[in-house]
Amino acid sequence: MNPILVGPLTVAGISTVLALIIAVLDKLLNNYGEVEISINGGEKKLKVKGGSPLLGTLAAENIFVPSACGGRGTCGACKCKIVSDVGPHLPTETPFMSQKEIESNIHLACQVKVRKSLEIELPRELFSIKKYKSHVEKIRDLTHDIKEVLFSLDEGEIEFVSGQYVQIVIPPYGEIKESVQRAYSMSSVPSDRTHVELLIRLVPGGIATTYVHKFLKEGDALELVGPFGEFRVHDTPAAMICVAGGSGMAPFKSIFYNLYETNAFPEKEIWYFFGARTSNDMFYLDELRKLQEKWPRFHFVAALSEPSPEEHWQGDTGLITDVLDRYLQTKVPKNDKGWEGYLCGSPGMINACINVMKKNGITEDKIYYDKFA
Amino acid sequence: MKTSPADKQAFQRMAPGVITAAGFLGDDTRSPERIIEEDGIFFDELGLDFDVVADRLEELQRKGEAGLGEPITVGKLLVQSGDARGMLPCPWGDGFFHKNAVSVRPIDVPLDSCVEGEDMLIYSELSVHLLRVHHFCQGRGSPFRLEPSLIKRLLF
Repeated sequence: MNPILVGPLTVAGISTVLALIIAVLDKLLNNYGEVEISINGGEKKLKVKGGSPLLGTLAAENIFVPSACGGRGTCGACKCKIVSDVGPHLPTETPFMSQKEIESNIHLACQVKVRKSLEIELPRELFSIKKYKSHVEKIRDLTHDIKEVLFSLDEGEIEFVSGQYVQIVIPPYGEIKESVQRAYSMSSVPSDRTHVELLIRLVPGGIATTYVHKFLKEGDALELVGPFGEFRVHDTPAAMICVAGGSGMAPFKSIFYNLYETNAFPEKEIWYFFGARTSNDMFYLDELRKLQEKWPRFHFVAALSEPSPEEHWQGDTGLITDVLDRYLQTKVPKNDKGWEGYLCGSPGMINACINVMKKNGITEDKIYYDKFA
Repeated sequence: MKTSPADKQAFQRMAPGVITAAGFLGDDTRSPERIIEEDGIFFDELGLDFDVVADRLEELQRKGEAGLGEPITVGKLLVQSGDARGMLPCPWGDGFFHKNAVSVRPIDVPLDSCVEGEDMLIYSELSVHLLRVHHFCQGRGSPFRLEPSLIKRLLF
């Protein structure tokens, strides 16, 4: 053998042997065997193989805890109460926890490794969450950066309340080597149980939205997990003051058309404030104006913040919060039924709207929102 | 020069799938050390200062927030400050940052003709921290790379 090769070959051989030893040891030492996860005091008991993070272990048993980051520990959405002692919180968990949550033994399911039998608590509504196989039935461009995507479920039906969201499972693509999940509010109505419609806005640099806008085609298969979320219409006679921009419209589309279809909450008046920068950023204008014409208790206010003269925009102008303020002071009737706020969008938009609503007499406990972040 | 253990660990955490799905290095074949070194030289050649650039990016983010998630005109630029769920740790382990995305492009270039890295800057709070503290602009091909020549052209 060529003496020059002896050295590298020896090193390669030793490395291989070491790697094998590590693999065997890992299998032996990290073999936690079968363990039991007891949920909600024994309401559900799962026999699972230990050693994996709790989030994935539960998902393998078709119990889906919300996660926007697919278990990478960056979203903080997968909180659950661990009754058993699993040791102190990890440094990867504490940025997402309040002191009260830490004291209550709330953990991130993606950061808890199942090393022994556990007792945990989960909201019961998680038990109705399922994973659905679907195909893309239709993709429509609503604006230059928002697509309406209609998914047809391959089998089964989805039951949800207007306002809830699903997580779509984006497969690996390009430089992205593993699947990711992202949450989107459903814009379809609950009465259509075999379809899910989402409004997806392109976020520059965004993994999921880049996939949807640049790669996803009609006929493609995609998995959906859901439904999740607490955002919904509250059963009171109070008028709904709804504010959204861009893809924030999604839950409201579901809510409005569902209310119109079912005539639920017949005492509620509905005011919808939709803001965008220019008319190129507006969508569903005709549909919502038609809805307003045929449904007397629905009032639609569209506002542009920077219309150009060429657009000949006839509607309201200004930031949506300024328009909202003007209408609450001068146009939305005040009566003994009161007002409640419904918001969907970025934290900045929601915080700004909350300030305007509070200034106009809506108390914070009557303002409901689905913050994107 | 030998890489410090802290830097070694940080560079490992920049790979796709560790902190973010796409990672921080794009399709750059250079080592992170070389990226930092060469971008530092580039900054000097362009007369850019890391703190001054970081301040300007933060200023644009603040002004962009007035758009409430929608794009807003700031001078000759269109700025959009968006948010996503969650937080991101710095690869060097010296902080957690709110997950957001700020895009900055010239007002006269439509979004659908914008090429990331050539016409449009995209950054987050973490990007600004990486720039200010670690002088790290991210690898070429990363959508969040702060290309020095683009910074000079767009922001100054």
